[in-house]
Amino acid sequence: MDFSQVEEHDGARWSWMTWPSSRLDATRCVVPFGCMYTPLKKLARLPALLPYEPVACKTCSCILNPYARVDVRSQQWACPFCYSRNALPPHYAGITETNLPAELIPDFTTVEYALPRHAAPPPVLYFVLDVCVSVAELDAAKGYIVKALSLLPPDVIVGLITFGRNVHVHVLAEAEIGKAYVLRGDKPYAADAIQRLLGVTPVPGAGAGGAKSASGAGAAPVAPAAGPAGRHPGLIAAARFLQPVAECEFGLTSVLEELAPDAWPVPENQRPQRATAGALSVAVAVLESGAASIGARVELLLGGPATVEPGAVVALEQGDAVRSHSDIDKDNAPFHKSALKTYDAIAARAVNAGHTVDVWACALDQVGSYEMKSCVDRTGGVFIQSESFRHPMFKRSFEKFFQASSVEGGAPALDMGFQATFEVLTSREFKVAGVIGGVASLGKASPSVSQDMEVGIGGTSAWRLCSLDPNTSLAIYFEVVNQHSTPIPEGQYRYVQYTTRYQHGSGQYRMRVSTIAGHWTDGNNVADLASGFDQEAAAVLLARMAVYKTENEEAFDILRWVDRMLIRLCARFASYEKDAPDTFALSPNMSLYPQFMFNLRRSQFLQVFNSSPDETAFYRSYLNRENTTNGLLMIQPTLMAYTLEAPPEPVLLDVASVSPNRLLLLDSFFYVIVFHGDSIAQWRKAGYADQPENEHLRLLLQAPKEDAAAILEERFPFARYIECDQYGSQASQARFLLAKLNPSVNHHAAETGASSESDAFIFTDDVSLQVFMDHLKKLAVAPQ
Amino acid sequence: MFEWFWNILYNLGLAHKNARCLFLGLDNAGKTTLMHVLRDNRVALHVPTQQPTAEEIVIGAVRFRAFDLGGHEAARQIWRNYYAKVDAVVFLVDSVDRERFPEVKAELDGLLGDEQLKDVPFLILGNKIDMRGAAAEDDLRVALGLHTLTTGKGSNLVSDIRPIEIFMCSVVRKMGFGDGFRWLSQYLS
Repeated sequence: MDFSQVEEHDGARWSWMTWPSSRLDATRCVVPFGCMYTPLKKLARLPALLPYEPVACKTCSCILNPYARVDVRSQQWACPFCYSRNALPPHYAGITETNLPAELIPDFTTVEYALPRHAAPPPVLYFVLDVCVSVAELDAAKGYIVKALSLLPPDVIVGLITFGRNVHVHVLAEAEIGKAYVLRGDKPYAADAIQRLLGVTPVPGAGAGGAKSASGAGAAPVAPAAGPAGRHPGLIAAARFLQPVAECEFGLTSVLEELAPDAWPVPENQRPQRATAGALSVAVAVLESGAASIGARVELLLGGPATVEPGAVVALEQGDAVRSHSDIDKDNAPFHKSALKTYDAIAARAVNAGHTVDVWACALDQVGSYEMKSCVDRTGGVFIQSESFRHPMFKRSFEKFFQASSVEGGAPALDMGFQATFEVLTSREFKVAGVIGGVASLGKASPSVSQDMEVGIGGTSAWRLCSLDPNTSLAIYFEVVNQHSTPIPEGQYRYVQYTTRYQHGSGQYRMRVSTIAGHWTDGNNVADLASGFDQEAAAVLLARMAVYKTENEEAFDILRWVDRMLIRLCARFASYEKDAPDTFALSPNMSLYPQFMFNLRRSQFLQVFNSSPDETAFYRSYLNRENTTNGLLMIQPTLMAYTLEAPPEPVLLDVASVSPNRLLLLDSFFYVIVFHGDSIAQWRKAGYADQPENEHLRLLLQAPKEDAAAILEERFPFARYIECDQYGSQASQARFLLAKLNPSVNHHAAETGASSESDAFIFTDDVSLQVFMDHLKKLAVAPQ
Repeated sequence: MFEWFWNILYNLGLAHKNARCLFLGLDNAGKTTLMHVLRDNRVALHVPTQQPTAEEIVIGAVRFRAFDLGGHEAARQIWRNYYAKVDAVVFLVDSVDRERFPEVKAELDGLLGDEQLKDVPFLILGNKIDMRGAAAEDDLRVALGLHTLTTGKGSNLVSDIRPIEIFMCSVVRKMGFGDGFRWLSQYLS
């Protein structure tokens, strides 16, 4: 079965397509029953937006869908989830079996409604810029904010805060351009104090404004009471600071041009005083009232670590380094816990208001992303890590992010969703155990919620997504609760319905509904179960669980857990004779899974040596955000080989694939590497490719670069691109590739002459995939 | 497996000295591999270090807080942020990559001339002697302009000048650097 085809239907991939019909049998499947779901995925089959309110079941709130049995004569429909009978609304009177509304057409298991309400105001982007950087860095950052303004749809609302030791809240109202309110960065202002100081509290009674209205759990999005865009009471109150691009672009650009690096003196051997948490807290407070219940993102551009309390991650003295993983493990990081607490509190406020924080960390050393990760991860934000504001990693990512790629009714809009609520409804044989991804719980109790299993953020059937985009993917985990004693009748399906309500970038209120059916099978029917195993989705679902565990468990225990799960899965589903490892075989559906686990164990997600905590936070954030394909790429990169003899082909991620007359292209999501085998590199250096008779060599050298460029064009965040040679002065660059290869030949083997044809080997004591597999076979076939 | 005896002796109840040291050198000199061997006694191949990392490593009587700083050109910009409070510098050189010896010398000269590091002992490790074409110790000493600067490997400690010495080693064969660290630890008080 081609599971990526399945994904095209609804944006969903399942670890298991077919489920065993009882709780007991489910536990014996080892790998959890989960789904990778991309709520805003661009689906080829998605019908045009449905411009009406969805019809909901009066009992369980299920939205009318193709699995409902509709009786056109009696004008009733039976809910596939709770079996209640519902009357169709009067305006459905005209439907017949051949004239169905889109949501009832069998092909359209996913539909999207454009809800007939007043549009919300356009989203707010609040730029928060660190000015404790060099002139060159500041100029680059300013230049890119100006560029972003030119890319943004003109009705998007923007604002600017700059900060060093103090926090400057810039006034953008035309008559007052150039003014700014200055707040002390080292004073932990309460949110309402900030709102009072800046005068952004909406007049009481002037509509549904105020931070509190945003906290209504799970409720359908309510159009701000003040009605049409621009009349939002919060936006009126905060109009001095938040203005549409079209109206403030000129003024904001001039404010940016005037901006100089922070004037606060920095003594020798000290870091600049940087009040990151203070600035973030002010931005969140302004948005709480100014952008209540509408979409908003804070764009934090950061050039160094926070040094001002609250929220400092390191001391002012240059001699004290930012904490490392070993410092955190050994409880030797004096700022860590209090900083976490500070940022977690800010994150909680942002989540409550439904607003997102994006962090653009542009520095050679750490800035404290690890402490700030809740602000980003819980609000559906993005992390960017770049060594400088002048580096393509920042520049290309920043540009791409603000490009409005969606055109609605002729007007450009950001291709994002805001203030979203994601709900899961299950048929009664199974329950939802939780979600791992950029969500926060809305604490909604419902019959679909598992009572005794929690994976990730559970105990609820509704979650808040402060924002999402077409890449945002959630890992949803389920528990089969049906008892062994009550068999499921043959031919009965299991159903799940995902409902995502959100404000589109255009302000339109929308709701995407995916209703997905699946098969049950007898728990002893191993072949049936195995044939529905999507090893790629399973690997990513498991990887997200493993990373989620890193919050509370020791790395060693997590590796043990990954191993145990793999051994148990193989013991159950592989074919073998007891105690005979040589007879071990996995079906094609499962044969790659051990390799995925091998690479997951080695990955930067679970091995933190040689990564800073900030880097770890950055990598993990994307694993929790991207879909199956990209998640798998992060775990196990793809490797393509280019030779003169044959067309480009995928090759094993193994050191044996390195050869002097090959070019390799490795894509690990975060890095894209073009690697020249030694002979190829020699030919290139000798200039052979420039001679007209060697056109084929020129084309060969060109091919992987072109493919790499195509990957980079699509990728967010912009990947680090590296060209390198097998040997020579770029040897260190080659390590970006070599470190990802299976060390089938290491320096010990190379020494004893057991080397591969290519003579390439890797200096490592790490076990190879072959050794790993041998152990796995031995353990799997042993009596359990 | 270097110096078990030595380790055991000092691990038995003797108080550790604490020292902050920096692992510096050009990219691909072997800094991260050395760090990993010292921490876990295992060789592994790592992607080039981007942001600085730190590990706590006990060698003999000394508990090192070792900082592994990236060696590529951009990463070198932040080396000096780490000079304050440093007790030792471990400078690694890829002794096979002769083409880059001038670049190594320029970086090393910069470090040796830095005011903040003027009293800090320097352990220079000529790495990769297991590979064909590795420079010999004396060649490296000359190439780096250290023939008049190194202060001797013996246990007669120098007191009025900054200790500098070269030790040749192979990190992947786990040999040679033990002597270097033992030499270095004499100067850490």
